Amino acid sequence: MTVPFHHPDDQLLIGYASGQERAGKSLLVATHLAYCPDCRQRVASYEALCGNWFEELPCAAHDGLDAVLDRMDSLLTAALAPPEPAPVEPPAAERTCGRLVPEPLRSWLPDAIDTATDDGSWREISKGVWLSGWERTLSGTTIRLLRMASDAPVPAHRHTADELLLVLRGAFRDEYGSYGLGDVAHYVAGTDHYARGASEEDCICLFLLDGDLIFLDEDGNPV
Amino acid sequence: MPGTLDKDGVGSPDAARTDADQFGGLVHAVAQNRDRTAFAALFRHFAPKILQYCLRLGADRSTAEELVQDVMLTVWLKAGSFDPAQATVGTWVFTIARNRRIDRLRKEMRPAPDPDDPAMTPASLATPEETAQMVQSSRQLQDAIETLAANQSEVLRRSYFLEQTHEEIAEDTEVPLGTVKTRLRLALSHLKRSMRDKA
Repeated sequence: MTVPFHHPDDQLLIGYASGQERAGKSLLVATHLAYCPDCRQRVASYEALCGNWFEELPCAAHDGLDAVLDRMDSLLTAALAPPEPAPVEPPAAERTCGRLVPEPLRSWLPDAIDTATDDGSWREISKGVWLSGWERTLSGTTIRLLRMASDAPVPAHRHTADELLLVLRGAFRDEYGSYGLGDVAHYVAGTDHYARGASEEDCICLFLLDGDLIFLDEDGNPV
Repeated sequence: MPGTLDKDGVGSPDAARTDADQFGGLVHAVAQNRDRTAFAALFRHFAPKILQYCLRLGADRSTAEELVQDVMLTVWLKAGSFDPAQATVGTWVFTIARNRRIDRLRKEMRPAPDPDDPAMTPASLATPEETAQMVQSSRQLQDAIETLAANQSEVLRRSYFLEQTHEEIAEDTEVPLGTVKTRLRLALSHLKRSMRDKA
């Protein structure tokens, strides 16, 4: 398998295409798109659908826009042709797909995501499972990294809204399947799921949470 | 059925194709020759749509006019990057308008993959089997979009394109709230059925 197998659902893809989806989840969708030619095509189809809706917008006969066109006249003169795009550095084999996190996420992340787990940038939440100290909030969505050592289970938890994972390194599995590079797992509020690391190297995921995350003790009570 | 005219007055695929070629030619003229007459023709067609789009998404009149100017200036500057193989001119202008209004009205950035990023997985990396699946999945989605029931497509349009809440849709279309939710659910499951099988 060379391309992702688990995709964001159509609600997310069409929301991303139309612009209705907010920045937090759009960051995860856009990064999945960098991994997934299939979903890039799907988003293009949804953009074309929105393009049709755009073309069908009813327009008033006298929309008063002539003045805007007149005003633009000097702008057009002033606007020079855009500079030639900088030549793209040819990718070295080891830099391409796989080790380097693609844009748009890369610009957001710390330089290295697979730092030593004892260097202070990771917080161990149970044996072999860490949350990154790196954390961002985008339009109400909390964004962190989740790291799972081989076969280490994420402790039981409850979440009050959507939880989304995007695999950036290694693999993990849950009762629904196994997730490799670029795969997306989407858990809606209230679902129980039991993720654990499933690769030799630590699995590192982008971890998005809309609501609160509550870890549970052995009896299922909030810690 | 070549030559068949659509009786509802909606353009036949042939007519749509001609339109696309016409606007594509205008964008090409802007890119190659800085052709202001071609630009004015594009402006007259698309500016009113951009204005309506922004007004419906909550912009006031003067902000909407500024957005029209922003978007059309981008069309002027980026005409050379328009690729008719990727999208129609209408879809291309829509994506510019979408990005500018997210930036302006919502004060958010629009995350997007960078096509020049060496870390991006190219379509050519897929196995022949995966490529065949992608072609099929794309065709199936196209079929699914074309066969959406009109009332489901309308709820999808209002929900995702106009960003109306379920309550607003119910009120505007004079349909019970439960029906709006059902139609949206049916629309999404219709589209989802075209998604390639999951494990």
